[in-house]
Amino acid sequence: MSAPLQSRQTILDSIRLATLPCAQDSPDRAEAYAALPRDYVRHGQLDANARLKLMIERLREYDADVVESSPTELPAVIKAQLTASGRHSFVAPEQLPAAWLAAGFEWKTDRGLTTNEIEQAQGVVTTAFCGIADSGTIVLHHSATEGRRVLSLLPDWHLIVLRASQVVETLPEYFEQCKQPPALVTWISGPSATADIEMTRIKGVHGPRFLNVIVVRDESLLSTKADLRPAETGSAKGRKPS
Amino acid sequence: MSQSPSLHAIDSYAELDPRLALPFPKAVLPVLRNTQLRKNVAHAIDVIQAKRARLVAEKTDWQQLRSAASAIRAHALENLGAYLEQFEARCTAAGGTVHWASDAAEARQIILDLLRQENASEVIKIKTMTSAEIQLNPFLEAAGVSAFETDLAEIILQLGEQEPSHIVVPALHVNRSQVREIFARRMGLKDLSDDPQELTNAARTYLRQKFLTIPTAISGANFLIAETGSVAVVESEGNGRMCLTLPRTMITLAGIEKVLPRFQDLEVMLQVLARSATGERMNPYTSLWTGVTPGDGPQNFHVILLDNGRSAMLTRPVERQTLKCIRCAACMNACPVYRQTGGHAYGSVYPGPIGAILTPQLMQMKYAQSLPYASSLCGACYEVCPVKINIPEVLLELRSQVVNQERSQTVRFFDPMYLGLRIANLLFAKAWRFHAAQRMGRIGLRLFTSKDGWIHSLPLLGAKWTQSRDLRGLPSQNFHEWWAERGPKSSKEAK
Repeated sequence: MSAPLQSRQTILDSIRLATLPCAQDSPDRAEAYAALPRDYVRHGQLDANARLKLMIERLREYDADVVESSPTELPAVIKAQLTASGRHSFVAPEQLPAAWLAAGFEWKTDRGLTTNEIEQAQGVVTTAFCGIADSGTIVLHHSATEGRRVLSLLPDWHLIVLRASQVVETLPEYFEQCKQPPALVTWISGPSATADIEMTRIKGVHGPRFLNVIVVRDESLLSTKADLRPAETGSAKGRKPS
Repeated sequence: MSQSPSLHAIDSYAELDPRLALPFPKAVLPVLRNTQLRKNVAHAIDVIQAKRARLVAEKTDWQQLRSAASAIRAHALENLGAYLEQFEARCTAAGGTVHWASDAAEARQIILDLLRQENASEVIKIKTMTSAEIQLNPFLEAAGVSAFETDLAEIILQLGEQEPSHIVVPALHVNRSQVREIFARRMGLKDLSDDPQELTNAARTYLRQKFLTIPTAISGANFLIAETGSVAVVESEGNGRMCLTLPRTMITLAGIEKVLPRFQDLEVMLQVLARSATGERMNPYTSLWTGVTPGDGPQNFHVILLDNGRSAMLTRPVERQTLKCIRCAACMNACPVYRQTGGHAYGSVYPGPIGAILTPQLMQMKYAQSLPYASSLCGACYEVCPVKINIPEVLLELRSQVVNQERSQTVRFFDPMYLGLRIANLLFAKAWRFHAAQRMGRIGLRLFTSKDGWIHSLPLLGAKWTQSRDLRGLPSQNFHEWWAERGPKSSKEAK
């Protein structure tokens, strides 16, 4: 067996030899990359309301539980959802707005919670970075209001607060917002599922078995196109719900 | 192979080792007699196919997405060296460690060394066909490390001691009552019913404690992003997220071809992958991570870039496109041969049309030479391929290589097929020889032609044809004879 460093050289040499006629230096490569055909649909055609309707419809097709809320009603709607879940212990990302932590429930805020503490919680409430209506996908960039990855994984019940202004129609529109590629991303499309036994779709394997979404109609933000884009830094970090 | 702790353990995996597997036409015989297995496979395939067709049809820009996906993958391969080095630099800068493995033995040893550094006696795994390609599990077992598969289908196979027969739904050949039997026996759950929901819950319970306690995990990769040094894993169950989040150490094994130039390229790949693989608009979970993130997920991260025959495939212009594959399995779901046989007969962890072109090449054309023939060349695989791999074209190219290999072997000199081809070559070279052969054939075949004009059974080699289909008897005259007789008359009529 050859030394690892030697393998690196062997593999790269053999790749170089095989791809020799192709552009190797970086200006040529960048040019070739820029010339790749990309005539698929980049931007959706729906207006804000239709887009939101599609997002909700697609989420429901995945068996997600979706309710709508106005910005002012949000804390009350969150409380109603928590009550309806029949659960009482929840975890929250570090900077989840204090007004969302409804009274009457047991809350643990993630300031370095252990895996066991998170595992013992019955549910979790987070924000999101973006919603993609076309596929009913919610994207987490794991900011301080979206929480560490483990936070939205171990509890069996996940409530996501998604602002209407964060919803785009197509996947390419989401990527347009990521001028700086994020280090951690989780794309969520419905609750954990499998079809490994006779292609029968079963909801809930290892991830949360229940996905709940509150769509907040922050209408003021729907008025201009520029405002459709969430802040570059990621999600509703530190933003008050009203 | 000499580095392997136990050859015996690897032998037990022989069924899907292309070096030891039977040729496809022989391997397929027991499968064709197993009606239960064929029923299970056909059912699963029909369900996926119907879902895929519906979701692809609703996508108005499907062909544009395919063209983009194909172009991105081809570009990544043309510049593979540069993109791999970029990936390595960015991943390292983000706190990951990149290893390079020329072959399976080297990759296995790197993984074992990393596990030994961690004092790991147990490891949890996200489904990865690449680890099956290098036969990692039996190797680890022989070295005293228990590897626990966490994907539901992989648990079914691991506990049932079976081999994968599909690259996306590896246990599609097993039905619910067979799963019930395996789980009841291996998990000690006597009262388990065959309800898929109950079986899934049993798997959840079985694995929960392992996720929470085993500090080392192994994954594959769906995509490596050169621009950022990130890795993306596409899954459904959340077992991937568990393995990517809870352990202290993560080891990712990825073929060198998995690289994409930029993060944004995922806007194409994620759209085509889920629809092609499982007939969903998007799979439930896709995770992307970049090196190590303080306070979130594994704090030791290793990537092993595996060659194992791939760089050699790059040298050949026709076959290179095989490496564009994103492992969606749409080709096997569409394949009329796979639908009848399932995956095991291909004698490789990569079955179906993609396996038929990938396996012989990974084996440097030394093994699995029967696989390029395991196809009717109908082209259904090419039509559904989201990265436009022209599988029939590669199949034909590989067939020609197999023929060139074989006909130069002296032992094949009297092989009936090559003997026949040499005779045909002789006969077709001159018109009079051809016509003479036709006349003789007409007389000879008359013995076997029934009154309905069909030949139902031929002796000797001819039986290979007639055992599964009839052959039309030769007509009483050929075209030349017919033309000579009719031609002048009909041209007169035309005037």
